[in-house]
Amino acid sequence: MAWEEKQVRGYTEFVQTAQRFHGRPIFALFCGDKDAEGKSWCPDCVTAEPVVRKELHNMPDESVFIYCLVGDRAYWKDPNNEFRKNLKLTGVPTLLKYGTPQKLVEEECFKAELVRMLFTED
Amino acid sequence: QEAAKYEKKVMVLDFVTPTPLGNSWGLGGTCVNVGCIPKKLMHQAALLGQALQDSRKFGWQFPEEVRHNWMTMTESVQNYIGSLNWGYRVALREKKVTYENAYGEFVGPHTVKATNKRGVEKLYTAEKFLIATGERPRYLGIPGDKEYCISSDDLFSLPYCPGKTLVVGASYVALECAGFLAGIGLDVTVMVRSILLRGFDQDIANKIGEYMEEHGINFIREFVPIKVEQIEEGTPGILKVTSKSTKGNEIIEGEYNTVLLAIGRDACTRKIGLDKVGVIINEKTGKIPVNDKEQTNVPYIYAIGDILQDKLELTPVAIQAGRLLVRRLYAGATTKCDYVNVPTTVFTPLEYGACGYSEEAAVKKFGEENIEVYHSHFWPLEWTVPSRDNNKCYAKIICNIQDNERVIGFHVLGPNAGEVTQGFAAAMKCGITKEQLDSTIGIHPVCAEV
Repeated sequence: MAWEEKQVRGYTEFVQTAQRFHGRPIFALFCGDKDAEGKSWCPDCVTAEPVVRKELHNMPDESVFIYCLVGDRAYWKDPNNEFRKNLKLTGVPTLLKYGTPQKLVEEECFKAELVRMLFTED
Repeated sequence: QEAAKYEKKVMVLDFVTPTPLGNSWGLGGTCVNVGCIPKKLMHQAALLGQALQDSRKFGWQFPEEVRHNWMTMTESVQNYIGSLNWGYRVALREKKVTYENAYGEFVGPHTVKATNKRGVEKLYTAEKFLIATGERPRYLGIPGDKEYCISSDDLFSLPYCPGKTLVVGASYVALECAGFLAGIGLDVTVMVRSILLRGFDQDIANKIGEYMEEHGINFIREFVPIKVEQIEEGTPGILKVTSKSTKGNEIIEGEYNTVLLAIGRDACTRKIGLDKVGVIINEKTGKIPVNDKEQTNVPYIYAIGDILQDKLELTPVAIQAGRLLVRRLYAGATTKCDYVNVPTTVFTPLEYGACGYSEEAAVKKFGEENIEVYHSHFWPLEWTVPSRDNNKCYAKIICNIQDNERVIGFHVLGPNAGEVTQGFAAAMKCGITKEQLDSTIGIHPVCAEV
């Protein structure tokens, strides 16, 4: 089976979804919320998303790609938000391989080569 | 990365031949994966254990028994190392350095063959080559060594607590490992063939040994293992070690959960095809002699790091040599690596920082009558309240009388020795004399003011 995508919003939903797929490779892209027109408050996320989506076919078989909206700008800026505290995220966008120290942060997500490396690394 | 800055097309071939027990690791070399980094973190774990005990005298209250969990420590350490491995991958990619996780060996002039872990071979040619293959732990060559013993390559990611451990060796690797294993509460014995810390100031080496012995580490001196057998399988199991005296026929036996070999490291230069391109190596030690520009006898092949003959085996030395080499090759610089007055620190339970000559080496080079040694014991203020030893910490400087009493050797035994030594190393590079040292007012209350 190839890969599948799950879209979630908020920390609790993210953790539940990640736990459901325990045992399979899980990649997650964290972005700021989108408004009614589908545009995020985070300009870097807007740039990174198409780059990441274009590389998704490089993920190993059986992978799960979790697209996670973290919340609005105010929530994100709070230094105690759950993503910062528990997942140690430092910025959006962040693309990571769940359960490993492998991640790409902010401008690193704009680079197709690095995204491909994250998806195909072992 | 330095060469890529100058727009050179660069490739890195890095491959870890698994240990006899099947262990391997990521990009970054020995220091990051199975050396300095995990070592210092585990040393810190042991220091924190001691700090917890001291803290009661400073008023902290918590239950009698405090325990250590090996798996928690190892997981945190490995996680950090993993982030470093990843960081290097990203950095190389960003700087457009091609990285292949493959075993490189020369097959002809200007040509290497790279074999990955699936056995796929590729050929590459280049204008210049830099060898930095480092070393791997040596085994004893006795029955049972590769099947049952572990080395530092295995220790830092061991998936179970080592338990009662026998450390074979008296190198800094042996003593540092013995130190932190005892510090986290394990029963540790060190088997020494002759002297401790060969090559280091022996006066200090003995003080380190004494301190470790007084703090619960057993030493078996002048014996070498001749056989290792497995009594019980397990994680850890039980091993029986038979050893013979170096001074007669006495045989002793001991049982341990783990046997850690730290008897030395051998250069990885024998199986990389150096004979095919004519690079001369020291047949006995495997090391590569180079000129002061890190060039081998083959002009387009350079070498840096632990594999060099007669040079210090330290990560920062290799890094500095590498950077300067590239700047000389591609940026018109002329600076050569300065191998004199390189500071080091041994992270035994009582830390030892040193820069320059040991007392023995100074006497040998300059003559006993031409050197003056100034020394002192000191009692760190932080140790007074918890009633820790008051006569163990020690500082010594060696001066050259014929050269204005210039400081040619600096030695300090005490907490944070590494931090203390770094500044004095810089001073020694500037040629500090005893008079200048005396006229520098001390910071109080710190150990370094002595």
